[in-house]
Amino acid sequence: MAMTTRDRARLSLGIQAGIFLAVVIVLAILIDWTAIRGSFFAFENLGPMFPEIITVGLFNTVQYTVVGFVFGLLGGTLLALMRMSSFPVYRWVATAYIEFFRGIPAILVFIALGFGASLAFGWNLSTLQIAGSALAIVASAYIAETLRAGLQAVPKGQLEAARALGMPAWRAMVTIQIPQAFRIVLPPLTNEAILLTKDSSLIFVVGMAGGAAELTKMGRDGINIYQAGLTPLVVAGFCYLLLTVPLSLLARRMEHRNPRTAKK
Amino acid sequence: MSQSQSQSQSDAARTPRPETTAAKGTGVPGGHGTSAAGVTITGLHKSFGDNEVLKGIDMSVAPGEVVCLIGASGSGKSTLLRCVNRLETPNAGTITVGEHEATHPDVNLDAMRRQIGMVFQQFNLFPHLSVLENCTITPRRVLGQSKAEAETEALAQLDAVGLEHLSERRPDQLSGGQQQRVAIARALTMKPQLMLFDEPTSALDPETVGDVLASMRKLAQAGMTMLVVTHEMGFAREVADRVVFMDQGLVVEEGPAAAVIGDPQQPRTQDFLRRVLHPLGE
Ligand SMILES: Nc1ncnc2c1ncn2[C@@H]1O[C@H](COP(=O)(O)OP(=O)(O)OP(=O)(O)O)[C@@H](O)[C@H]1O
Ligand SMILES: [Mg+2]
Repeated sequence: MAMTTRDRARLSLGIQAGIFLAVVIVLAILIDWTAIRGSFFAFENLGPMFPEIITVGLFNTVQYTVVGFVFGLLGGTLLALMRMSSFPVYRWVATAYIEFFRGIPAILVFIALGFGASLAFGWNLSTLQIAGSALAIVASAYIAETLRAGLQAVPKGQLEAARALGMPAWRAMVTIQIPQAFRIVLPPLTNEAILLTKDSSLIFVVGMAGGAAELTKMGRDGINIYQAGLTPLVVAGFCYLLLTVPLSLLARRMEHRNPRTAKK
Repeated sequence: MSQSQSQSQSDAARTPRPETTAAKGTGVPGGHGTSAAGVTITGLHKSFGDNEVLKGIDMSVAPGEVVCLIGASGSGKSTLLRCVNRLETPNAGTITVGEHEATHPDVNLDAMRRQIGMVFQQFNLFPHLSVLENCTITPRRVLGQSKAEAETEALAQLDAVGLEHLSERRPDQLSGGQQQRVAIARALTMKPQLMLFDEPTSALDPETVGDVLASMRKLAQAGMTMLVVTHEMGFAREVADRVVFMDQGLVVEEGPAAAVIGDPQQPRTQDFLRRVLHPLGE
């Protein structure tokens, strides 16, 4: 008895559903549900976390991320232009910067700024300054590469057409190349914003006063304050999702809605 | 080796062609009082690394003349065209376009390019702009025209290629032939004195080729100087004043279209035309 394509598709679906069901049953039997509920989902004692987890924690996370992203975008633009410069020293400096900060863990940058800056220069930086500049330093390295790739993804014929019409080089770049590159880089830039949102939690290594606490810090503190196990961290986690999931959906939508850029 | 018929030919080229019926919006003499410019190329050499692509080209296009450039793939036709508006920098030789010396070290390239329109095989419309914006962006941003002024002229040029009704569309909503006609209109909004075409119909579906050729024919009849790289022998025979055959970086034969295409003298021209006109053999 020969199997049709549709039979085969049904069989495949059936097998997948069977595996899924088996895994769910095994987990349900093995897992200690009371312990899980007590440690991770003990929401009943967490009333006092609100509204501070939102008004302070979420607010600070957003604040650090936005400052980091804005300055990262400025720095990234500068680095991308240096990477493409005809002056070799600029290219070397930018390349070294990009490779360095993409290659080390972001947490080292937080430590360097949080402790090193006061030791070396006697600077007394605020939490916002430390978190914002640490994120900006790291983000600019990634953003520079994203922007450069975006500019170079605009087909050469676009610039040639602009120049052939008599546009000066800068005008062709501003009017033709950058607007098209912008549409190309929006999805990856949104992804970068998601990464930064999560990386803002690294400020914990430096420590901070209560008013400057962001989500992770408040979640960790909550473990000691409330009799709810690790549930405060779960709350903090949900708050991150509140920020990152919409960004992620936005990025996906922009990727799908084919941007109006030239085809290859 | 050049047959140097260009001297006698440029006279023939100046004989007036029939006036176009649609002088409005063609951006050429009669329409707006701009003048056509001629092109003179002498001793042009161009190499990419070790690859010498142009090996000493001498040719000219008289003001108002239509010259078709034919030759096998890789013979250097595109490179020659791109040297004229300096998208490529020649290694040696001189090129003059109207009063501009394209090869002079101090030439104002942007000013020169404003007087030279170029139409590419791949159209190269700006995909993030509407058809109308494609045609107004350079007059507005480079020539400083007002929005109203630029749009009036752009719509007239779009009308001349029969596409005024699509002015609000995006390029990707147009067929290839329509895009190419927009590209022609876009070039004409700058009131060029010379138009360069690099295989303008090679990337088109066969049924849209005719409209593009018709727009080009109309432009030729209006007195525009045109240098056209093409494989459309029918168009060359009908519209060109002169045909130049290139092979391996040199001009091998040139003369009146009917002579070069109908009765080629050089073996390499004969061979090329046989392959183009009878691709399946006789
Ligand atoms: N930017 C470039 N860099 C290196 N080599 C190039 C470049 N542009 C053209 N060439 C080379 O120059 C030679 C001539 O190319 P060109 O495009 O001028 O030929 P063509 O006559 O227009 O051919 P086709 O009919 O295929 O368009 C080819 O061998 C090509 O590989
Ligand atoms: Mg070519």
